[in-house]
Amino acid sequence: MLRFVTTRVLRAILTIWIAVTITFFLLRLLPADPTLLVVEGDMTPEMQAALREQYGLDKPLLVQYALYLGELLRGNLGVSFRQLVPVSEVLLDRLPWTLLLAGSAFVLTILIGIPLGVYAAVGRGKVIDKLVQVFGITANALFVPSIAIMLLVVFGSNLGWFPIGQAIDPDTRGLAAYLSLLHHLALPLFSLVLVQLGPYALTLRTNMLEVLGEDYIKSARSRGLTPRRTIWRHALRNAMLPALTLMGLQLGTLIGGAVLTETVFAYPGVGRLIYESVRQLDYPMLQGAFVLLAITVVLANLVTDMVSMVLNPRIRTS
Amino acid sequence: MSSTSTAPAPDVPLAALAATSLSPKRPGGFFSKPSGWLSVAVLVVFVLTGVFGPMLMERPGGLGTDILQAPSGAHWFGTDDLGQDVFTQVVWGTRISLTVGVVASLIAIVIGTALGLGAAYLKWLDPFVTTITDVMLSLPLLPLMILVTALAGPSVTTLVVVIGVLSWPEVTRLIRSNGMVVAAMPYIDGARVLGAGAVRIITREILPAVMPLIVVSVLLTAARSVISEAGLSFLGMGDPSSWSWGRILLNAQRSGTIATAWWQTLFPSLAILLLVLASTIAGVRYNDSRDPRTKGM
Repeated sequence: MLRFVTTRVLRAILTIWIAVTITFFLLRLLPADPTLLVVEGDMTPEMQAALREQYGLDKPLLVQYALYLGELLRGNLGVSFRQLVPVSEVLLDRLPWTLLLAGSAFVLTILIGIPLGVYAAVGRGKVIDKLVQVFGITANALFVPSIAIMLLVVFGSNLGWFPIGQAIDPDTRGLAAYLSLLHHLALPLFSLVLVQLGPYALTLRTNMLEVLGEDYIKSARSRGLTPRRTIWRHALRNAMLPALTLMGLQLGTLIGGAVLTETVFAYPGVGRLIYESVRQLDYPMLQGAFVLLAITVVLANLVTDMVSMVLNPRIRTS
Repeated sequence: MSSTSTAPAPDVPLAALAATSLSPKRPGGFFSKPSGWLSVAVLVVFVLTGVFGPMLMERPGGLGTDILQAPSGAHWFGTDDLGQDVFTQVVWGTRISLTVGVVASLIAIVIGTALGLGAAYLKWLDPFVTTITDVMLSLPLLPLMILVTALAGPSVTTLVVVIGVLSWPEVTRLIRSNGMVVAAMPYIDGARVLGAGAVRIITREILPAVMPLIVVSVLLTAARSVISEAGLSFLGMGDPSSWSWGRILLNAQRSGTIATAWWQTLFPSLAILLLVLASTIAGVRYNDSRDPRTKGM
């Protein structure tokens, strides 16, 4: 068990380190000169030199790298080009909304995906199986903004059932505030879940089919257990773990989808911030957003792994 | 890496799609089912549109007089807020979406297959490839693609390279796990005993055995690349000098006409859906129609 925890924690650190290193070398190796990006227009050579010194760009690459890592460890992600405030401040302000959106999508996808996958696998070749597969392949082909725009036009603009823009009505308090939060969350959340659910249900179906072919399932059936009990008590328990791990694997895609759906609905998360920063060519913000989202995904993945460990007796007792 | 779960290890969605079967009972030939020839027909129409469409139609640009017109005989897909014909934009966008999808997919397949087969046969290489693949799979790809594209400067070449170079991990995983099954077969030992080197065994013995899976991966990865391209273009990271489906959606989003001019977003959305769906179904159907003896390898 200790070995499992150590490997996973080391893997998480390695992943974050690689993400951070990629961003550092991207900024240095790609043609864009960081000093030219800060201010638009002409700069005297002296100004440029001063900026280079301020950013430590006159030092050797490895020293720059060490300085960069040191700053990151202290939570310094640099200063935004356009808003002239620390990137980390702006990002942490927006992060809770993205966490709320992606987190609810994560849970909802699992809750809907498991029954879909299980029923499809159990009724293999029957109508339900066909339906789940057709839905899975179609949902897998959906483009998040397409579905988000459609929902926005139908349920937001035309029917007026859901608000567009913002994540909460600032004038509400107490229970009304929570309701307003859910009201604003509904459409972005639904577009995200719909797209995630397709590949998820398909993968669960495949996993479940494999589990159903295992010896202990046949032995459970031959001991006279009802099909229902066999499926939900024995088979699902073992299909649950990969279901969770799989969702962990999809976290990266989930965040990508959140970026797109937030953009369509003007939902004030990190994704919408990325869209705004792209228009303003705010490189430190884009870099910070990637680093922060990478850390978020890796930590969420680590938590998923730990939960699977608690659920899995083989690792728990080893 | 230590495999500790009691149940079969979950795999990436690419593998799930590759394992999905639309007609499990009778394999038959690729074209024996409507899903086979229908998906190929749709793909052919898209390719013809992408190749010949822009030759027949003038490049969209400038300002038109018919602003925000609903679909009609004169403008099949309506017009946008600048009076440009949406049908022409979709036709021109087909070329970019197809180019990026196909070329990026080929880049990803070459890298993914090379690493996957190398890891499957060479024991010393496996831990490195597995670790890097897992790390890449767990990073949020879209924000990374946005960052790289922004720094490299948006262009069609940038999009192709960025999407291709960042999309190989799923392919590597799929090819590696299947290559390992082949690598453990007796005839591989036979080839080794006869004195074949690692390169020869990988390229002449293992590669042909996983070839059908590579064909499936090309189709499925191309579908994903089209979605990635649309996503980047929608966020403003597309080539500013060429049309793409994502850019049409972005224009609608920026001009604030999405709530009223439904035709401006519906038609490019349908184009994305149809192309991705056709490509995916062709991949799944190809998988179904394979010789059952090599299936599941």
